[in-house]
Amino acid sequence: MRADRPAFVAAEQSPDMDVTVEVVGEDTREVVIDDGETYADLVRAIGRSPQEVTVLVDGSPVPEDQPVTADSVTVLRLIKGG
Amino acid sequence: MECDKCDREAVMNAAYSGAHLCEVHFCRSVEKRTRRRIRSDAMLPKDATPEDPERWVIGLSGGKDSVVLTHILDETFGHDPRIEMLALTIHEGIEGYRDKSVEACVELADDLDMRHELVSYDEEFGVRMDDVAESDPLNMAPCAYCGVFRRDLLERYAEEFGADKLLTGHNLDDEAQTALMNFLEGDVKQVAKHFDASLGSFEDRHSQDAFVPRAKPLRDIPEKEVALYAHLKDLPAHITECPHASEAYRGEIQQLLWDLEENHPGTRHSIVAGYEELAKLAADEYRGAGEANLNECENCGAKTSGTRCRKCKLVDAISAV
Repeated sequence: MRADRPAFVAAEQSPDMDVTVEVVGEDTREVVIDDGETYADLVRAIGRSPQEVTVLVDGSPVPEDQPVTADSVTVLRLIKGG
Repeated sequence: MECDKCDREAVMNAAYSGAHLCEVHFCRSVEKRTRRRIRSDAMLPKDATPEDPERWVIGLSGGKDSVVLTHILDETFGHDPRIEMLALTIHEGIEGYRDKSVEACVELADDLDMRHELVSYDEEFGVRMDDVAESDPLNMAPCAYCGVFRRDLLERYAEEFGADKLLTGHNLDDEAQTALMNFLEGDVKQVAKHFDASLGSFEDRHSQDAFVPRAKPLRDIPEKEVALYAHLKDLPAHITECPHASEAYRGEIQQLLWDLEENHPGTRHSIVAGYEELAKLAADEYRGAGEANLNECENCGAKTSGTRCRKCKLVDAISAV
């Protein structure tokens, strides 16, 4: 189906999205992701495993399998040994 | 995204089960899995009574795992007269790092009104890990010294307090890493020992008279979920890395397991479940075979297969520098 769509429609359906990612205790950076990508994808984009962090939107954790809708997130590294 | 069980917003998803849970149902789920593990491992014997209670020593480091464990144990058994709990914290002599986590331990024990004991390598052995990491007389990783000292103190104090069990905060990731490392080492006798020391249900284990048995109530909970629980409950957990951390191999295995878990959710659960079953078979096969007779260390009285225990030998080497 997708291959049959005119290219410009496909482009409109996956615009890039700028997300501000603050990694607590480290730095803040801008990440460009495609529409429909998830918070887990965002975590991978900053070189972390979704297994070692939690993503907060407005201070609340979000399920990482959900598509990114916030333009600013906080990444909390949770795992650094006992 | 709504919670699977109510109309609140989900705060997490667990790929291995497909669950999406809100804060309330997630925390409830962590507590439920912990209690189920305590039951299925038969950690609380049926013959425990208020007159003759079961005694648990909890290894409380101040990190998220032991803080969550202590919190859940207190919520579950804090008013149960069949159980006496004591939290034991060990200061290794790591400035900054351990000072802060000791504060977290004191705060938690105060909040919970739980008996708390603090011991240090410095007072017990005249040793500080900051100095040991610096001098390193035996050319080993700092963790190699530290592990020997920690085991010695946990064992000694668990015995002194008359503990029936020593409970630690090891989570699913810790257990999957250890299982995989033991497997990759190919040391089946070690796997067999692991079972009786800290792995199986108390109904299946054979007690090792020389040592206080270990139990790990959080071993079904992924590390990330333990951390999220601590965050949501606002527990005073201390999250930084030990400045001397040097377990490079474990780090490699951790990364490998994260990658596997991403592509094959549930891998950690199945590794641990399979390892435990194999460990039981190995224990049945090797139990008692080739075990050295244990003597008392000539210096400190700890159990050892030789004449002087490993801890005393390490202290000797460190003080000879």
